[in-house]
Amino acid sequence: MQTVPEEIVLKGIPICRGVAIGRIFFLKHEEIEINEVTIHPQETQSEVERYRHAMERSIKAIKALKNQLVMESSCDGVMILESQLEILRDPILNEEIERKIQSEHKNAEFILQETLDQIKIKFSSLSNAFFLERYKDLHELSQRILGHLAEEEDIYKPFTLPPHSIICAKELNSIDIAGVNASFIGGFVTENGGSTSHAAIIAKSKGIPFITNINLSLLRAHAHNDFIVDSRIGKVILNPKEKTLKFYQDLKKQMLMQLDDFQEKVKWPTETFDGFPVRLLANLEIPSEVDLVHEFGGQGVGLFRSEYLLFPKNIIPTEEEQYKVYRNLTQNMKGLPIVIRTFDLGGDKLSVRESCPNNESLSFLSRKNCLLLQDENLFKNQLRAILRASFFGEVRILFPMISTFSELKEAKRMLQEVREELNISHLVRVGCMIEVPSAALNIDHFVKECDFLSIGTNDLVQYSLAVDRGNHQPGDFYIHTDPSLIKLIKFITDRANKECIPVTVCGEIACDPRFTPLLLGLGIQELSVAPRYLPVIKNAIRSTSIVEAVELAQKALSMSTAKEVMQLLIEDYQKNVPHDLTYNVGEH
Amino acid sequence: MKLVNKVKVKNRLGLHTRPATVIVQLLQNCKSSVAFTYKGETINAKSILSILMLAAQKNSTITIDVEGEDADRIMEKLVIAFDNQFGESF
Repeated sequence: MQTVPEEIVLKGIPICRGVAIGRIFFLKHEEIEINEVTIHPQETQSEVERYRHAMERSIKAIKALKNQLVMESSCDGVMILESQLEILRDPILNEEIERKIQSEHKNAEFILQETLDQIKIKFSSLSNAFFLERYKDLHELSQRILGHLAEEEDIYKPFTLPPHSIICAKELNSIDIAGVNASFIGGFVTENGGSTSHAAIIAKSKGIPFITNINLSLLRAHAHNDFIVDSRIGKVILNPKEKTLKFYQDLKKQMLMQLDDFQEKVKWPTETFDGFPVRLLANLEIPSEVDLVHEFGGQGVGLFRSEYLLFPKNIIPTEEEQYKVYRNLTQNMKGLPIVIRTFDLGGDKLSVRESCPNNESLSFLSRKNCLLLQDENLFKNQLRAILRASFFGEVRILFPMISTFSELKEAKRMLQEVREELNISHLVRVGCMIEVPSAALNIDHFVKECDFLSIGTNDLVQYSLAVDRGNHQPGDFYIHTDPSLIKLIKFITDRANKECIPVTVCGEIACDPRFTPLLLGLGIQELSVAPRYLPVIKNAIRSTSIVEAVELAQKALSMSTAKEVMQLLIEDYQKNVPHDLTYNVGEH
Repeated sequence: MKLVNKVKVKNRLGLHTRPATVIVQLLQNCKSSVAFTYKGETINAKSILSILMLAAQKNSTITIDVEGEDADRIMEKLVIAFDNQFGESF
């Protein structure tokens, strides 16, 4: 008698919203089975050729992946791929394998494995743990070569993936994600990883559902069936009942249709339905995403996070290197404005070091001193690169992490010095991030010195409520609706609007359409969101009435807990955009 | 021509993946044969795996043997590369 396995629901923390249904694929755990085959002595030469051919294809695949990462200029992976290329070209390894194929008359797969096993033994005899670990690089490579020996055609993936696979891993790194073709991947499920990690940001930009904090050993026990990822609510459902599966299959179809529907509206004006105009801008990490900004009708880039240029090597690029990136970006904006934020070395982006030509006097750069005083040279180099790019379009400069008025004055003084040095006479607008409570409270002075302001809600929450951004807690869901944050936003916008200084909101909450009416009601007239969220936020703006939004904001301001405010926003969105299946999450 | 020189590993993590990659890239079109000797073991320096398996840590001394027509140039490049920590600033 066959028993029907029980439906199991696991709760995790959603990183990127969506729904996926598919087979589990464990990254780095899937092994290709190797058979030992004896080759006829006359055919050993063609076996050697087969091996060489697989090596060439592996090299080609890694080069392609490397180029992709170079283009995205966003990954620490370029260097790792370069060393993988050298391993594939290793003369000793290749000679040994070819010699053994000829002398032992065995298939290439078997000889490869045998040779790598011997190397593994040598590596594992090393006393230094760091070198011991290097065997892992080899292992990953051997899977790639074996894949090519098995005549796999997909050059971007070292393994065969059934469509809609859900990738499970302890932790994902950016190479894992950069290399995947979004149309093959249903979703990601991991044990660890924060929502602000580089991998999470890339997953979001590719629009792949992602849940973290899930115990993988539970998944492994049920890996043979389709399972469901509902990252709208952070649920993973194993052994779904037929009814559950049907529900999610229908939901997925509807969500796809809805996405098309939202995307069709991107050319319509960005205004509330009672005619209040809103500027909808994009946040950018990866320069190549500019195309998406145009496609989805973004009115400019509200925040280019320049610190992502540091990722390939964790080294700060030279002025010239930066200038090239900023100039290309500016040209690709096709006349739309772009706000370039100077390096913000916070959160998981720490431990970056300056590349000094003489290798001496290296210093750790903390979040603050990178910007000001101690690192004046570094800061001025970046300003010079940005100002030089400003000849090619409308570039604005944004200072992050300013907490006192004197810091702002100091930053502006340095900017003025660089302007004079470069003989720049045209207007380059300057703004400041308001992301620490001290800056918010001192806003009356900031508005007099800035052409625009940008509220970084992620940090403002962190510094106002004393929470750790990387450390996920189940209660985090509500934190962004804490009344204190809403009051701060109101305080900032009231004063900025009085002086006619535009204020942009560029944090996570700007990407969540349920917050749109609240933000507009608080007086915000500009939102900056990841390009993929432009259609859904535009739809939210167009579904909002500014009169009702102001009333909603008044109501929220009178509330005492984050939970009450969240409930208010959920109900309001349900009423305004009842058909949005991604954000209206009813229990079924 | 045959040249012998001793160099010191200055990188914090020793001769790990990145320096090893730089070394083999540097030797890509080199006509001479290049060997590293460390703790009595001699390896072909054009093989990244062999370099990694030396597991040479920070402050260890490597003996470089270069033999061939471009030995001069190659030795100079290698010594400079070891000296500036293979462009690695940590």
